[in-house]
Amino acid sequence: MHVLLIEDDAEAARLLVKGLRESGYTVEHAADGRAGLAQAASGPFDIIITDRMLPHLDGLSVIEAMRARGIATPVLVLSALGAVDDRIKGLKAGGDDYLTKPFAFAELLARIEALLRRHPAAPHATRLKVEDLEFDLLTRRVTRAGRELDLTTRELKLLEYLMRRAGQVVTRTMLLEGVWDLHFDPQSNLIDVHISRLRQAIDRGTDQALIHTVRGSGYVLRSEP
Amino acid sequence: MRLNLFNTTAFRMSVGYTLLVTLAVAVTLGSAYFLTESLITDEVDLIIDTELNSLEEKFARSGVPGVTDEINLRIDSWGRIGAVYMLADANFERVAGNVTDWPFEGMPAERWPEFEIGTIEPGRRAVHPVRAAVRRLPDGELLLVGTDISQGRRFADKFRFATLWGIGLSTLAAALAGFWFSYRLSRRVGAVASTCQSILAGDPGRRLPVTGSRDEFDSLAVSVNRVLDRLEEQAGTLRATFDSAAHDLRAPLHRLRTRMDALLLRSPPLEPPVYESVDSALREVDHLQRTLATLLQIALAESGTPLAAPTAVDLADLAAELAELFEPLAQGQGLTLTCAAAAAAVVQGNRQLLAQLITNLIENGLKYVPRGGRIEITVTAGGGRVRLEVTDDGPGIGAADRARAGQPFVKFAGSAADGSGLGLSLVAAIVRLHRGRLELQDNGPGLRVVVDLPA
Repeated sequence: MHVLLIEDDAEAARLLVKGLRESGYTVEHAADGRAGLAQAASGPFDIIITDRMLPHLDGLSVIEAMRARGIATPVLVLSALGAVDDRIKGLKAGGDDYLTKPFAFAELLARIEALLRRHPAAPHATRLKVEDLEFDLLTRRVTRAGRELDLTTRELKLLEYLMRRAGQVVTRTMLLEGVWDLHFDPQSNLIDVHISRLRQAIDRGTDQALIHTVRGSGYVLRSEP
Repeated sequence: MRLNLFNTTAFRMSVGYTLLVTLAVAVTLGSAYFLTESLITDEVDLIIDTELNSLEEKFARSGVPGVTDEINLRIDSWGRIGAVYMLADANFERVAGNVTDWPFEGMPAERWPEFEIGTIEPGRRAVHPVRAAVRRLPDGELLLVGTDISQGRRFADKFRFATLWGIGLSTLAAALAGFWFSYRLSRRVGAVASTCQSILAGDPGRRLPVTGSRDEFDSLAVSVNRVLDRLEEQAGTLRATFDSAAHDLRAPLHRLRTRMDALLLRSPPLEPPVYESVDSALREVDHLQRTLATLLQIALAESGTPLAAPTAVDLADLAAELAELFEPLAQGQGLTLTCAAAAAAVVQGNRQLLAQLITNLIENGLKYVPRGGRIEITVTAGGGRVRLEVTDDGPGIGAADRARAGQPFVKFAGSAADGSGLGLSLVAAIVRLHRGRLELQDNGPGLRVVVDLPA
């Protein structure tokens, strides 16, 4: 997978490049907005990660210029600006996701994964299925091995989010954003409690757990641990 | 904002001026009417007096026959038009003159008695009002001289008619002018008010319209626009300052965190004790970052920069969602968390900030209310306001401390050690940003936080 990182902070860029390479990505780095735009235009990338504040051409202008040239590559915006409206501006400019610095490296990896798999095979699917867990999106009914599960509206939403990203690590922040539409971090370990409730409902009485905790990152829904 | 036309200074002044105009016109026309009327009457009286005097003289010279002749002469020949004469004996029987019967009951008491006579004019009978005077001659006869005053009456009637219409029409004109004037005025003032309102509501680029007529409203608009330009410029500068402060503080934190992350992800892994200490240092970095984010958020909210792009947020929905989000956690702590929300309680604001506000209040409760306690959220709407209350039966905050609870870094006796002391000040800042009011009250026992926002 080909990643373009546009980041002017040399030290931060070095660490990110190293981390991404260790995670198996091919990474190219541009140190300012103009160079970043030129590189984005020259080669196909699977994902572009850009800082928000850049010399010569700021991150949002880079995205706008890219989109104007028809480059549809998913873009993840990294920003040291964390006010609520900064995020909105970032997404309006054409960014696909927004991450406020500082962030955990695991968070970045999970976001990249999510963006790379952004086009699920069947976005208009009416049924989701992972092993013997089935979710009928029309009737909002969930069965595990044919047995119907009694879930609350919110648990259904949480499960749908996980099932749509089956096999993919989702972080607590992603869940807060995706399921609850909250773009800040409550201080409490809220998500853990909701996941453990959902896990109880899904995995109880079976010998195969489907919801797994990924240490230091978040959760994943898949058959094998 | 629409101004109520009837509740404007301009309207009240117009009503006052209309009354004044009516009064002035009424006094002017009224006195002209009364003056003219008395002038006409005086003239009639003077003529009657003069004729009586000359007839008395005639009597003195040639007795009743002389007066009779004179009267007949005046009636028949070119006497004045509308003249009425009568000479009667002591029993009020006619001796001479153009009136057949004595028109009064005996001797009239007034000096200028009035009566009516019927006359036969070609084709019709008519009744004419007559003003007269009566004198008793030395021999006991009565001499009556009068004047047909129907002409004067008609004139006075017309004059009165014209006067009343004059007063009515000028009142109407003044009222219409006043109404138009106050309508124009209230429209222009209303435009100023509504523009200011929409600027406050988050459209900082709006300016007052300048018509180019160089009138006082234009000069007001130009001045206000200048103030608004200055404010927007200051907000921009402030925002840039915050942005660079945020950037300069977050960038090194980011490098620090990334480096620590890299350490933790290294293979072969760190020795367990080293791993533990790096991990806990990482948690401190996260805590520091969260405090910093909160501080920047407070500073931004307190800077007076208006809320960017507010949208309609249903506080009832939001409170219910957050209560649901926190409920399992509360249950885990042995607390009851409930939410009673109105059907709809929509405010104009930022969903994320309002969610942060409610989250902070719930987290406060979770932090301070002991096991077995309860936290209740209620949202009510009405009268153009939305009211959010978060009450608990925890230890509460003393009266003295409640007043300073919204200030940054304030901690109270018995407050948890791990709090940053910023939770309530962020709440206060978000409330202010939404132009609402925050109040901490005694829930006896416990704390009641009341957030009152404009709908």
